[in-house]
Amino acid sequence: MTVTYYPAAPTHVPEDLILDFDFFDMPADVSDPVQIWHGLIQKGAPPIFYTPRNGGHWVFLRYADIAEAYRNHEIFSTHKAQIPPLEPYPVLQPNGVDPPQHDVFRKLLAPMFTPLAVRRMTDGLQSRAERLISGFAGNGGCDFVHDYAAKFPTGTFLELFGLPEERLPEFLRISDTFFRSTDPDVRAANLLEIYEVLEELFREKERNPGTDIASTVVQSRDADGNPFPWTDIINCGFLLFVAGLDTVTNTMTYVWRYLATSADARQKFRDRLDDPSAFLLAIEELMRINAVSNIYRRVTHDCEFKGVQFRRNDRVVLPNTVANRDPRTFSDPQTIDLDRKVNNHVTFGLGPHRCIGSHLAKREIMISLQEWLRQIPEFELDPDQDAESVFGGPVMGFTSLKLRW
Amino acid sequence: MRVVANLAQCQGHARCEDLCPEVFSTDAIEGKVVIEQPEFPPELEEKVRLAVRNCPEGALRIAKGAVA
Ligand code: HEM
Ligand code: SF4
Repeated sequence: MTVTYYPAAPTHVPEDLILDFDFFDMPADVSDPVQIWHGLIQKGAPPIFYTPRNGGHWVFLRYADIAEAYRNHEIFSTHKAQIPPLEPYPVLQPNGVDPPQHDVFRKLLAPMFTPLAVRRMTDGLQSRAERLISGFAGNGGCDFVHDYAAKFPTGTFLELFGLPEERLPEFLRISDTFFRSTDPDVRAANLLEIYEVLEELFREKERNPGTDIASTVVQSRDADGNPFPWTDIINCGFLLFVAGLDTVTNTMTYVWRYLATSADARQKFRDRLDDPSAFLLAIEELMRINAVSNIYRRVTHDCEFKGVQFRRNDRVVLPNTVANRDPRTFSDPQTIDLDRKVNNHVTFGLGPHRCIGSHLAKREIMISLQEWLRQIPEFELDPDQDAESVFGGPVMGFTSLKLRW
Repeated sequence: MRVVANLAQCQGHARCEDLCPEVFSTDAIEGKVVIEQPEFPPELEEKVRLAVRNCPEGALRIAKGAVA
């Protein structure tokens, strides 16, 4: 999507910190969306710079600054941080509120996403992976995005929310429109549809609660024993929908795209099929290299940060892919080292908003890859792939990835 | 040797648990670190040090000597 809105940079931004950079826009020669970010480093962009595109926003390019922004909610708020600025925009629970209010929904969700809780989901994830992969393993090829990477997390979402598997096509359609459509009318209708679905879901779980996440959220009570505001409940469901589908889909797509081109990496993962902790360690490195999220913050008050003047309501983008390859933090950062010893990547963020679904996401990817390698040990990119499949924005990725074997 | 955690800093990445489950686990409520074996044996030192260096929040620290 090319955004035509292009105001002049505000007066508090010095000329030498302004660059023309549109992170939604993918130039025709870009085959991997992270290229546009790493291109900035090659061009010698200032570590903190401003672009007038997409309503105007700052970009941080150093690991240390990005980490500090994640941790400093007094300056860098998640509340109303949309880029381009959108009003009204729902306050997603708990991501759209800062500590201490953030604690309320964060603590409510936390027990359902701990490593312990995720271990209990293993069997469900395993059988979903087996079913999906065996459905096309005999076909000699697939479109990985369409046939696997979109279906797996969406199916998982249905299961966690206590919804029947039959609704998968409906949810795939809704989420595809939500994440990929650029038509304002289609988007508006889609948003209404999502809210209707969530409304109906939570009402049903209120009447007939189960042990699923939606039931737990709707039955929760605040410190005084009262139910939470209905909009907060809906917007918590909405966040889980927004946060846990496209991120997993595109991370998986990145991982499989890399493995399709590296016989050595496939071999290393196959060698670790019987050693889950070594397998997970190697996954961690693929998480570092394939950081799909660019995170937004809003500056809460006029202030100086790292010698740069910020004004209240300035927007900031934190590109995790750039932090994860900062040579000040990582040795040999552009090399994919599946045995990397120290790996403090920020793919799942840092600080209070650290991805609550990170353990689930890693488990989804790990189980999928283990099962895939058992059924399809060797695979490669299909030369029929059309080139037009990349997109940028808050979550970067591919609309299609054709593989063959 | 002892390892200590700053729970205010811990955000539950569970990297410590992944790297050295003998010493670290995470709780069932918030998913924050639980130190199962604060005074760990010397044969685990390398693993514990690795876990400490891999805590993205810098919430873990090795303290010399026994319980203060
Ligand atoms: C590889 C896949 C994923 C990536 C790369 C990812 C990335 C992130 C990042 C960077 C944040 C921090 C946002 C911020 O600081 O504002 C975040 C937050 C969040 N993620 Fe994920 N995520 C993934 C998968 C998931 C899954 C599977 C779920 C749940 C089902 C999930 C649920 C959430 C929630 C609820 C938050 C907000 C937490 C808060 O504000 O306290 N994510 N995610
Ligand atoms: S790695 Fe650090 S932040 Fe994560 S659980 Fe362990 S102590 Fe906490």
